[in-house]
Amino acid sequence: MIDDRDEMIDRIAGVLRPLPVVDDSAKARVLVAVAAERERDREQATRRTQRRAGSSMRWTIAVGSLAAAAVFGAFVLRTRPQVGGIAAASVAPSPTLPHAQLAARNEASEADAASESVQFVFRAPAASTVRVVGDFNAWDKGRAPMMRDSGSGLWSLTLALRPGRHVYAFVVDDTLWTRDPRAAAAPDADFGRPGSVLLVGRP
Amino acid sequence: MTGPHHLRLLNSRQPAPAAQADESSAVTRSVLVHAARGGDVRAFAGLVDVYYARCLRFALHMLSSRSDAEEAVQDTFVRVYRALPKYEEREAFEPWLFRILANRCRSAGARERRHAELVEYGDVPERSVASGHDDAIAWREEIGLALSALPDEQREAFLMRHVEDLSYEDMSVATGAGVSALKMRVKRACDALRARLTEVGP
Repeated sequence: MIDDRDEMIDRIAGVLRPLPVVDDSAKARVLVAVAAERERDREQATRRTQRRAGSSMRWTIAVGSLAAAAVFGAFVLRTRPQVGGIAAASVAPSPTLPHAQLAARNEASEADAASESVQFVFRAPAASTVRVVGDFNAWDKGRAPMMRDSGSGLWSLTLALRPGRHVYAFVVDDTLWTRDPRAAAAPDADFGRPGSVLLVGRP
Repeated sequence: MTGPHHLRLLNSRQPAPAAQADESSAVTRSVLVHAARGGDVRAFAGLVDVYYARCLRFALHMLSSRSDAEEAVQDTFVRVYRALPKYEEREAFEPWLFRILANRCRSAGARERRHAELVEYGDVPERSVASGHDDAIAWREEIGLALSALPDEQREAFLMRHVEDLSYEDMSVATGAGVSALKMRVKRACDALRARLTEVGP
């Protein structure tokens, strides 16, 4: 059987083959869903460890006080600006090294050739607003409100950042400044507030 | 977790003797899979970036609504994330990914059908009339209708073979069906599409 391929099937396949236009927010939602999954894993692991250590009482208290502060932790996910998914990857013109190719995909983004999409994810189920502040938005609370994912209590926001070192923090309910507990603390945070370090476009 | 683990891999891993761009991007993908498997969040985001559009293409052809297709793709990646520790790198990644994706699409398709039974007489999509339409658009719609008229198994096999370009061996991994059964499904799908579309072709 020679695969049933003929002119008609080729024409049908040709119509079905173009990749759909993908909204970047759809990819961001995937990463939020995966982040929620990671958080669940982490919590279960913590619970298991605590139980084994026989300190379940202390654990309950710890969670209680954290819940009051409405801060459960934060982390940063990164995506590269898209240039058509796999199609772009498989028609790359030259047999470059993989990391060079990733760089090339970055350059193809139209918004800002050098910038990289950074997704901030922060867990705060009881908060009513969470914002990202940093040197990239002049520490202005009004500029980067995060979106809440109702199921998981995760807040997320994707920003295009230039390569280099950035310092950032989260502002919960307009008043509580907190650094990202999963990232390196910045010793030189602006305004004497807590901050975390983010490196974009590491070599 | 988010350390430079995968970057080190990207630099030190010997690239394939890349005679073709395809090969070097295959290396990129396998490095991403390797790093994501080790818990590298950034590498996982890279996998989503590389495979999202392709997964969505498959899901859009398998399901009737875009939101169902996006949900199926999202579920797929969550399951990929959960299952990555169990994934063995000597298996090819793509058929493994398509196994999860096809499963998600089957469940979503079953949900869609249950829902469609409830609204059967209220919300039937109207078959478009070709007149007044651009020929190319009408042709595309005819293909969509012909495709959706295929039994799920045949549609799935046809798409994997002729749109996703999987080999029959990879399709066997992705569907759990044997190669000869898959060849039969593809052949039946092709016959049905040909019969239906020959009369209306542009």
